[in-house]
Amino acid sequence: MASTSIPSSATGGKKRAREIVLLITLVLLLLCTIFTAFGARMYHKKYHVLGDEWFAKGEQDFRSGDASGALSDYRNALLYSPSNVNLQFHLAKALAATGHDDEARAYLTTLLSDSPGSGEINLELARIAAGGGPEAMPEALRYYHAAIYGVWEADPLGMRWQVRKEFCKYLLKNNAINQAEAEIMELADNTSPEDISGQKVAGDLLLRAHMWSRALQQFQTLLTHDANGEDALAGAATAAFQLGQYAEADEYLSRMPREKASTPDLAKIRQITRDVVSLNPYVRDLSTDERAKRAAAALSIAQVRANACIHRNVVPPAGNSSASALETALRASTQNANDWSPRNLRKYPERVDPAMSSVFELEDAAVNQCGEPQGSDYALWLIGRSRGGSSR
Amino acid sequence: MSLTSLTSIAPDTQADPASQSSISLRNLWATWHSWSNRIFALREDQLFLFLAVLIGIFSGLAVVCFRIAIEWVHLLTLGSSIYPPSHRVVLVPVLGGIAVALLVIYVFPGARGSGVNQTKAAVYISNGYIPFNACVGKFLICARGIGTGQSLGPEDPSLQIGAGIASHLGRRLNLSQEKVRLIAPVGAAAGLAAAFNAPISSVIFVIEEVIGTWSAGVLGAIVLAAVSAVVTMRSFMGPDAFFRVPPFRIARASELLAYLVLGIVGGGLSLGFLKWLAYARPKIQNWPPWTRYLQPAAAGLAIGFIGIRLPQVMGAGYFVIDQALHGQFSWKLLIVLAVLKIFATGISFLSGTPGGMFAPTLFIGAMLGGAVGSIERHFFPGLTGTVGTYALVGMGVFFAGFLRTPITSVFMVIEVSGSYTAILPIMIANLVAYLISRTYQKVPLFDLLARQDGFVLPSIEKEREQVPLTVEVAMMTTDSAVVALPEELAGDLAKRIDAKQDAPIFVRMAPGQWRLLDREEIHHLAADGSMNTKAAAEAKPKGPLPVLFRDQSLEDALHAVGDWPAVPVVSRADLSKLEGVVTLADILRCFRNASPE
Repeated sequence: MASTSIPSSATGGKKRAREIVLLITLVLLLLCTIFTAFGARMYHKKYHVLGDEWFAKGEQDFRSGDASGALSDYRNALLYSPSNVNLQFHLAKALAATGHDDEARAYLTTLLSDSPGSGEINLELARIAAGGGPEAMPEALRYYHAAIYGVWEADPLGMRWQVRKEFCKYLLKNNAINQAEAEIMELADNTSPEDISGQKVAGDLLLRAHMWSRALQQFQTLLTHDANGEDALAGAATAAFQLGQYAEADEYLSRMPREKASTPDLAKIRQITRDVVSLNPYVRDLSTDERAKRAAAALSIAQVRANACIHRNVVPPAGNSSASALETALRASTQNANDWSPRNLRKYPERVDPAMSSVFELEDAAVNQCGEPQGSDYALWLIGRSRGGSSR
Repeated sequence: MSLTSLTSIAPDTQADPASQSSISLRNLWATWHSWSNRIFALREDQLFLFLAVLIGIFSGLAVVCFRIAIEWVHLLTLGSSIYPPSHRVVLVPVLGGIAVALLVIYVFPGARGSGVNQTKAAVYISNGYIPFNACVGKFLICARGIGTGQSLGPEDPSLQIGAGIASHLGRRLNLSQEKVRLIAPVGAAAGLAAAFNAPISSVIFVIEEVIGTWSAGVLGAIVLAAVSAVVTMRSFMGPDAFFRVPPFRIARASELLAYLVLGIVGGGLSLGFLKWLAYARPKIQNWPPWTRYLQPAAAGLAIGFIGIRLPQVMGAGYFVIDQALHGQFSWKLLIVLAVLKIFATGISFLSGTPGGMFAPTLFIGAMLGGAVGSIERHFFPGLTGTVGTYALVGMGVFFAGFLRTPITSVFMVIEVSGSYTAILPIMIANLVAYLISRTYQKVPLFDLLARQDGFVLPSIEKEREQVPLTVEVAMMTTDSAVVALPEELAGDLAKRIDAKQDAPIFVRMAPGQWRLLDREEIHHLAADGSMNTKAAAEAKPKGPLPVLFRDQSLEDALHAVGDWPAVPVVSRADLSKLEGVVTLADILRCFRNASPE
């Protein structure tokens, strides 16, 4: 820069004038700074108050279920506290609650970039992804995992347990059984034995995942704390029933209060269980007479069902030989009617097994031909399955 | 007298408090006197840098107060809700408009306009003079106008407020005319930097749009002022960037095509906005004078009616931009907001309400970008950029297309968002928008407004894009000169020069050292038969020739040629290698050919 020096001929008066101007300038600067500081302080204070007021109103609306009102309030609050992370998070929650998923996701993603390990933010993102259908499942899994293993400021163990529970429900809802099994096992293992409601939740989830043995074990543990716990009894009965342990199921059901046991699902289980228990010739400690009597009754029930099924004249699908199988089984059963009469079965207990095999064959064939059986036939079919099948 | 001496005399005056106080004051004055003397003993360019810091701080304080004033007016008139009651939304802009009109007409006539052209006019027309009351007027009127919902921004006024403070300070401190002229852009950069919390882009804007040159003399002061202003502003308003941008990434390079489309759409729309203003402004200026009392109120009424349904259109709209960046609006609403904001900003500006175009430009761009992004994502779900990313890029696109400052637009978006991630899409889209706007609208916005106001400011864009004439255009080939070696005998040379009549004769004495010989002189020496060219050249009273390089400007060549009949053009890699010859006639011919007429 070409230096243009102050003219050396400047008079003392001019110099003095410049000095005074500079002094006034600096004094003015000081005064302006003080004034601006005061103004800025008032401004921030006012904004802070307004932000808090709108936020409180939003909280109130959100708690009372008015998510769209809360959304408007949070937006107002954000106007006055734009960098308030907590507020942004609440706004995102309100957005998600009012179906503005994309906007909520945008806010949460921004928040997540600042706190990548936040359990809360990951959970909200997971919930949004979970609502996005099957194609968003990988994203939901990622966020749920991040939430479970994320940072939770208050009660981290409890929050992780809650998130895992929600995750398990999501997986079950979306038929991701394999992943659900692992998570439910983890949940059950991480549930404190003293946490009765937690144990119940874990047991229910195990039931929903058809993990009958583990569920039965879970509910049995619960029953050690409270032998008459209704939910535990119901869970244990259901699990035992599904495992084919009908006597045990019946016992749990019988310990339940009448009102609880009369709920449609349990009443059905109870009826079937009773049928199974009353029809089953393999129950321990039965007398030979009783065993023979039950086998003969079972044979009679199965033959009636087979006859009824054959007489429906339902044409089997091409290539399906079940109709002939049913007829063959019925024919064989009829041919042995004399051998498997109640008297002969009493006299020759070793004939109970072949007779019951014929019963199971008839029921299986009838199922193939005419669909699921009802009542006593269903009980016999279940006995057959429990004799030949396996359970988890 | 130093502070040390002050303390050393203190014990002697303990007996009389009155005299002690008097002496202390005297000593204080002496200390000040000594300090100020040191300040004024600085060379003026050093003093200029010191003043730049002062100007930056003052501008920062002024802009903080300006922002607070706008917010207070808004809170007092429209209330704290984003959706104020309808009667307020209609009445407040109308009443605000009436107040603005009266203030502009009767109290602060110098406060008209956005502020950018007024600052440019101060630099190029009135030697850096900006009346201080124009700044005060700008502050008061814009705070009222923007605070009551006029669709304008505070940045351009901040720029003028900064420039006004600088101009006032420069004049009061009796700086030289040249420095007073240069100090206004320094203040302008400070004002803009504080308004946008964006020091880099404000410096670039002032260079790109106001002074048009990267002059080292003023660049340091501009940077210092901008930094001081931003530091001051951040001390009071916090360090956060204007907008919070969701993170994003571009998974595939092909996605840049989507941003290219945004550049085309944004360029087209900004061009349309520019054309509309260019067409409508002279018409409105020709309306009867009494309508000027009502124009801001009428604009306020129209904006108020829009504001009943869409209050987002009112005011500067930073918060709305932030919402758009977070994908809070559907594409339909984004389009409606973009169109209505163009209308609202247009009528606010055309009504003569003082206020800036920066914030509305960013607003429109964000809405447009968000809308284009939403539509593109609908048809191409594989695009990884969020709607917010398109909104961010859109801000720069509209800025580049409308204000025609391409480099500023890139840095502006990066600085206001505090995010560098979108740099590639921003650069591509901004360039496209800028090219479209420049192709179909020859005169940029600020030049256009200046011409409509009856004065002609230098077109910085034109200067920026002007290809300088170089020596290469004017030079003749080496065949048109004779090059002699120092040891060559004059007789031999005389034989050679006869073959080239009128060609200048250069003697290559040493690398970079060339001398010129007269034809008659060589013939005269040749008659003696003994003297070599070196001796002849050295005997000449006039020193070595200046040399030129082929990439140097013709202005440089003009200075170099002076009264030499011809000057050698040499290689930068080898100063003894002649690449051509330049004469004064050649240079003048080139200038003549290059002139637009």
